[in-house]
Amino acid sequence: MTAIPELSPARSRRLPSALRGTLADPGVFIATVIVIIFVSVGLLAPFLPLQSPYLQGGQAFAPPSAEHWLGTDEFGRDLFSRVLFGIRQDALVGVIAVPIGALMGILLGLASGLNRILDAVLQRILDVSLAFSSLVMGIVVAAIVGAGIEAVLITVALVNVPLFGRLTRSAVRSQQVRDYVTAARVTGAGPIRVLVRHVLPNAVDALIVQAALSLSIAVFIEGAMSFVGIGVRPPEPSLGSLLRSSSSFLAIAPLYAIAPMVILTALVLCFNVIGDGLNRRLLRR
Amino acid sequence: MLIFTAKRVLSGLIVLLVASVVIFFILRLAPGDPAAALAGADADQATIDAIRTRLGLDLPLWQQYASWLGGILTGNLGDSFILSAPIAELIGDSLPNTVFLAGGALLLALVGGAVVGIVLGVSRRRAVNSVFTAANSVAFAVPPYVTGVFLTLVFSIYLGVLPSGGVGPGLGDPVGAIPYLLLPAVTLALPTGATIARFLAASMRRQREEDFVQAGIAKGLTTTTLFARHVIPNSLPPVLTVLGIQIGQLLAGAIIVEVVFAWPGVGQLILQSVITRDYLLTQVLLLLAVAVFVVMQTLTDLADAALDPRVRMGIR
Repeated sequence: MTAIPELSPARSRRLPSALRGTLADPGVFIATVIVIIFVSVGLLAPFLPLQSPYLQGGQAFAPPSAEHWLGTDEFGRDLFSRVLFGIRQDALVGVIAVPIGALMGILLGLASGLNRILDAVLQRILDVSLAFSSLVMGIVVAAIVGAGIEAVLITVALVNVPLFGRLTRSAVRSQQVRDYVTAARVTGAGPIRVLVRHVLPNAVDALIVQAALSLSIAVFIEGAMSFVGIGVRPPEPSLGSLLRSSSSFLAIAPLYAIAPMVILTALVLCFNVIGDGLNRRLLRR
Repeated sequence: MLIFTAKRVLSGLIVLLVASVVIFFILRLAPGDPAAALAGADADQATIDAIRTRLGLDLPLWQQYASWLGGILTGNLGDSFILSAPIAELIGDSLPNTVFLAGGALLLALVGGAVVGIVLGVSRRRAVNSVFTAANSVAFAVPPYVTGVFLTLVFSIYLGVLPSGGVGPGLGDPVGAIPYLLLPAVTLALPTGATIARFLAASMRRQREEDFVQAGIAKGLTTTTLFARHVIPNSLPPVLTVLGIQIGQLLAGAIIVEVVFAWPGVGQLILQSVITRDYLLTQVLLLLAVAVFVVMQTLTDLADAALDPRVRMGIR
């Protein structure tokens, strides 16, 4: 969904200073602050002094008040609490599924450097998996495991495998012919050592950029799958399922939809801004 | 060109064949017995077995696959056992709606993307550039389900000028259906239009640095002629490439937009089939989705090769 970051040879510049440099960009800084706030309140939601997101019985569609900061939903549940718990689902998807998919992609990409036949097979698999757009992948997963947060987690992981696999593979292909790799091999480094110690570090910049974009994709997929009814399902709150529920009541409770809309957009945009900032800083120079 | 075409078509067919195998076998991994589910909770074993035989579920898997694929190749898509209707008929009812929606969105995206892209590619003023670039990033990144709900809130609920869902009079009266098409098509067009604008602007900026631009200025061409006759035509190939991918994305986006606006298309059909576990319908629709994507990709590659001899010679 976003431009694929390009690979470039590693430079002597150290990564931490480049990351600090990226944060110096005001847009990236603001985006990072917003993301940190949302993700931490989301992850901490169970420990905050909130009303239960499942407790029914209050007045339905109550307007915002001191008791219910964002008002209540169609079952009189506290919306503020539901939104926070909803962010939590998205944060969990990002924290759990993206790293799993990334790791599998990186391992497959590295494995392609070990053997020519394996490389050809993996290349085919990546091609076919890219033919499934993320929502179509989500539909396949939901058809197998059923609708739910598990389907979202699996989809997000699967969508990330070819993204990270391609980046790693192209690093492997561009670096393996370099003299220093030959030198390492001559001095007796085994193929796995060469890949992990010498080739992989050259892909780190591109992989970091991809990680930021992948978090944006993760939020997007959670929202999409839950919105169309194959992801997180009511009464579980998630940003997508809240938006879905609220969309049935736009005429009577327009405010209901606002919070999930704003937060979904903010998260997707902020991760994109961070990814683009990292891309400018790490790859285009 | 002929050899290149044959190669691309063949590899597209292989991807499709592999995808059909994957789709068929992977859906068999789903837990539960469709025959038992169809028979109902209190059916006896004999009824379940009868249904299983009728659906051909007692045959070995590879035989089921062969007859499924054979059926598709000969135009027999089978029946949906939940909706108890021929799948071909269900697709026939919903596909035109999706094509109408996607076609409208594509038209909007092309026009909007071209206008914004050319403004960005021509203008050297910082203010214009930053405003359009920011607007473009937002249009690109905001998910269609958010855009759709937002547009409904503004145009259907507050302003009350456009309907919030459905196809209205339907395709029998396309002109009467246009008010119903407007919001969904705009929602669907935004990310695609933004992508087209972004690629067109980037491509135009690269072309503007070329020597032929200097030659044109030296020759005394007006700016308009220079851009219209030289810069823009030369900027189009990369846009075309991205357009092919975008049409695939557009159809995936249509699934979401159909839900937002209760648009009775293929997207709603496939979601319904997943939720009701109507996997005979799911697998045909999935194959259709992958086929559209593969065809688009192949056409893009072919157009690319037609425009740029280096591609078909395998130089690039």
